[in-house]
Amino acid sequence: MMSLLLWVALIWPLCVAANVVWQAYRTPVVTRRYFTLLWLSASWPALLLAYGGEAQWVIDAWMLGGYWELNALSRPWLAFTALLWTLAAVHARGYFAAEQDKAQAGDDETEQRLVRLALLWPLTFLGNLLLVIAQDIASFYLGFALMTFAAYGLVVHSGSEQARLGAKAYLILAVIGEGMILGGLLWAAGAAQTLSLEGMREGIAEAEQGAAMALLLWLGFGVKAGVIGLHVWLPLAHPVAPAPASAVLSGAMIKAGLLGWVNVLPLGVEGLSPALMQLGNIMLLAGLAAAFGAALYGVWQRHPKAVLAYSSISQMGMLTALVAMGLAAPDVWPLLLPGVVLFAAHHALAKGALFMGTSVSEHMPRWPQPFLFCLLALPGVSLTGALAAGMVSKWGVKSALYDMHHERLIMLLTWAAIGTAALVSVCLWRQWQQRQQGGSHRFQWGAWLVALIAALMTPVWLPLPEGSIAPLPLKEWLGVIWPFPAGVMLVAMSVYLVRNVRAAAPPSGDLWWLYSPFAIRLVSLSHWVAYRCHGVKTACIEASLGGERIVMAWLTRFLSAEGWMRHHSGGLMMAFAVALALLLMWEGLR
Amino acid sequence: MNAAWLPLTTLATSLLAAVAIFILPEEARRLRTSINLVAAVSKIILVTLMIGRVSEGYQDTFSFQIIGGIDFVLRADALGVMFAGLSSLLWLCTTIYAIGYLEGAANRKRFFGFFSLCVASTLGIALAGNLFTFLIFYEMLTLSTYPLVVHSGTAKALAAGRVYLRYTLTAGVVLLLGVVMLYSLTGDHSFASERGLAHYLNDHRGLLTLIFALLVGGLAVKAAMVPLHGWLPRAMVAPAPVSALLHAVAVVKAGAFGILRIIYDLYGIELSVELGVTTALAIAASITIIYGSVRAIAQQELKPRLAYSTISQVSYVVLGVSLFGPFGTIGALAHLLHQGLMKVTLFFCAGNYAEELGIHRIDEMNGAGKRMPLTSLAFTVGAFGMIGLPPIAGFITKWYLGIGAIQGGMYWVVAVLVASSTLNAMYFLPIVHRLWFRPGPAHGQGEWPKEQCLGRLETHGWLLWPAVFTALISLGAGLLAGLPFSPLDWAARVAVGEYLP
Repeated sequence: MMSLLLWVALIWPLCVAANVVWQAYRTPVVTRRYFTLLWLSASWPALLLAYGGEAQWVIDAWMLGGYWELNALSRPWLAFTALLWTLAAVHARGYFAAEQDKAQAGDDETEQRLVRLALLWPLTFLGNLLLVIAQDIASFYLGFALMTFAAYGLVVHSGSEQARLGAKAYLILAVIGEGMILGGLLWAAGAAQTLSLEGMREGIAEAEQGAAMALLLWLGFGVKAGVIGLHVWLPLAHPVAPAPASAVLSGAMIKAGLLGWVNVLPLGVEGLSPALMQLGNIMLLAGLAAAFGAALYGVWQRHPKAVLAYSSISQMGMLTALVAMGLAAPDVWPLLLPGVVLFAAHHALAKGALFMGTSVSEHMPRWPQPFLFCLLALPGVSLTGALAAGMVSKWGVKSALYDMHHERLIMLLTWAAIGTAALVSVCLWRQWQQRQQGGSHRFQWGAWLVALIAALMTPVWLPLPEGSIAPLPLKEWLGVIWPFPAGVMLVAMSVYLVRNVRAAAPPSGDLWWLYSPFAIRLVSLSHWVAYRCHGVKTACIEASLGGERIVMAWLTRFLSAEGWMRHHSGGLMMAFAVALALLLMWEGLR
Repeated sequence: MNAAWLPLTTLATSLLAAVAIFILPEEARRLRTSINLVAAVSKIILVTLMIGRVSEGYQDTFSFQIIGGIDFVLRADALGVMFAGLSSLLWLCTTIYAIGYLEGAANRKRFFGFFSLCVASTLGIALAGNLFTFLIFYEMLTLSTYPLVVHSGTAKALAAGRVYLRYTLTAGVVLLLGVVMLYSLTGDHSFASERGLAHYLNDHRGLLTLIFALLVGGLAVKAAMVPLHGWLPRAMVAPAPVSALLHAVAVVKAGAFGILRIIYDLYGIELSVELGVTTALAIAASITIIYGSVRAIAQQELKPRLAYSTISQVSYVVLGVSLFGPFGTIGALAHLLHQGLMKVTLFFCAGNYAEELGIHRIDEMNGAGKRMPLTSLAFTVGAFGMIGLPPIAGFITKWYLGIGAIQGGMYWVVAVLVASSTLNAMYFLPIVHRLWFRPGPAHGQGEWPKEQCLGRLETHGWLLWPAVFTALISLGAGLLAGLPFSPLDWAARVAVGEYLP
């Protein structure tokens, strides 16, 4: 039964994609609907699969040997991933309703873009699904690559100048990341002679250069997860992507990077080498730097989705710090893992709801505005830990850290939550400034509402193992809640203080603007080198051709010697006979 | 039980087809097509028979003495049958393609005659049981390819043909010198020699190395290893089916296959490592891989870019051989097949673009995905396979090569592989992007350079289906690599059964 469900879950998105192509040829543009019920259902079997219980499959014919599993980690991961994809798809139906009308009215370009999006959406989901259930390296890498490259179409959808820039940044960094992942996977798998992710974790823990392998994999997956320095695509790609695409990008896909770390890094293994623990410390620092840096930079952004992108970087920074604890302090990891999964699931749904919210505030339904904005704020408040699921997920992480006495990290995470509060309040404020009435669609706000509720109730529906999440004791209540008001106050104060300062907002994509001139220099340098090399090569060819001419001229001179020999043939014969006679005499004397 | 008729008949199908085509008049189009197709299909059947025989453990050998001590030997061993399988499968595809491509063109008799001869020589190379036989077919390949390269007869084509002959004939002489020196040393030139060359090691170390350098140096010209690759990009003036055959199976692969034979069958992998030649070969292959990729990025036209990509990709085979280990060997052997499948797809597609839309330059390809979706899909599969992304066949070989490098302790090879993947992405992704994401003439912006509506589908069916078929096979070879008789499975069988201690 489960196997049947698995195959349906894997093949269904392909069928949906095939149907998109079929419809593009069959149905005339005027009556064509892109986001049909069939299209929405792409992720339903996968969602069902997540709640079907644990199972595993071994398929020998599949690539290098397929091994897929639904276990304590992949089940909840699949649940929140598939749920978010489902809701985002429903949201997309409302979001693209206007574009669909435009396409039906005969706009070719819009029609093209919608077909492309409708086709790539289920494929991206398929990649995401496969990488969650995969336990063998090849399937995991396949899922990751499929998701990465298919998502390009989601980012570039609008086709505007900025969208192309965002998509370019996304693709360049993705290729760099894929390269590092490939290198790390080959190295680790080759050293451990394994094809499974589990074998690779063990191999990295034992290998001599384990730290170098882990570094490559950390950075490679870090491109997706927005590790500081490699995060630049996030604030460039998120504001330009359509809201449902941003939701899955920020909710589900950057979590794939996190899942990559959990799958390949030897987290929580006793007796790690000092170099690996050192890497854990570096990861911890990088994570905290991202958590604070992104908050400090993000609050100055104008576009609400750019602010949310920085919030994602900040949140992923916290998760990086938590994953780093698995290397730096392995004993805490078994306690921490359920908390990390809950944190990731809650962030996925909350961020999804926030991104969908940006499109809701641009097309407000006819509800009382204060009520609407209270609802829009809810997932953000929950994200800071001051409400419902956010509170539970914050406590889930903190209680594990308390048990192992990592008070300093708890303190830093709490301060980082102030940054989160500041970011979500800035986002809401920007949404308020840029709010627009009209054009709302029931699928658009319906999906957003469901995502909002799902985010607030994450621990209820997430299929985590029994008893892995501790309820929040009353006396800790204040310690979890205070960053929210502090952050809001901070923002309010700063707004008051800088109200008269007229300064341009720093560009989103921060370091990108440092990298790109550097890269352009590098390209022009390589052009110059290539030009020089070409010159050298041409000179070499000229020289050897010249040499050839000289040798050939020299050889042809022998031809003229022929005439000379003909002329003196008698004398030559004579000399030859004498030489022959002398030779014979010498032979006879010996 | 030795079925000596089997290798001989297999070779004879293409040879007889060539003879028949040369006898037929130019106008007998239908008959010629039938002969071509019947010969290609029957060759596939015969090769399948051979594969079955080899997997049962037989080695069918046909031999007769020419003069004392020199024999003509055809032997169906696992490695040879693998290459023969690739060549016969792709012969069918390219023949179908060529029939569509040359519809209405002049000199078809000459073309198909030499085409069959070319394939016959490839098969001879695959089944050659000793160096002498190998050499005969190797030279025959050189000569039968020349008329194909210069087929169009333009000044540019003739110049390219001249360069081609210069390179390959010189290389043939060098190869011949190596063979003669080896024969004078050992008095034996069989691939399946029981004694091997190991016992000459103590007395003739320098000579063995010199012979190795001569043999591999001669073969490296056809395998287009840097700096002996100059002829390949020029030979791009040939018609698309010729380029496809040249790059996927005939000339370039013949060189790589020869290097495999020299290392595995003649010298033996242990002796090669003992001589230290494998490290040199690995470095040469790595330089070729990187250089080919870098040059490919600089190309503005589609076919030259693919040509430089071939230079880079074929050296994967050589790299895998020089890694000395089970995984490297499997990777090399599997890549021989995988690269052929993917590259032939890419060249078919390039030919389709040129024929249907007149596209030669990369910047003319904007939006071609809408006009020719199936061709573009096939191209995308081929391109992603070349980058080494799963689930396409290229990933499988890259994986095996990487693992082989790690196990051989050559960590820098992984860096080369990753760099090559990234460079491949740098020159293939922009093309894929242009195909699918840029608006072009199909969206009402500008015009195709020279559009012809060749068929009811996006282009002529004879041009379209071979490309789709090979793309599907490259996808299947990666996705279902674990199935018995997949390229990977057969490569593992060859490697484990024959060459590993």
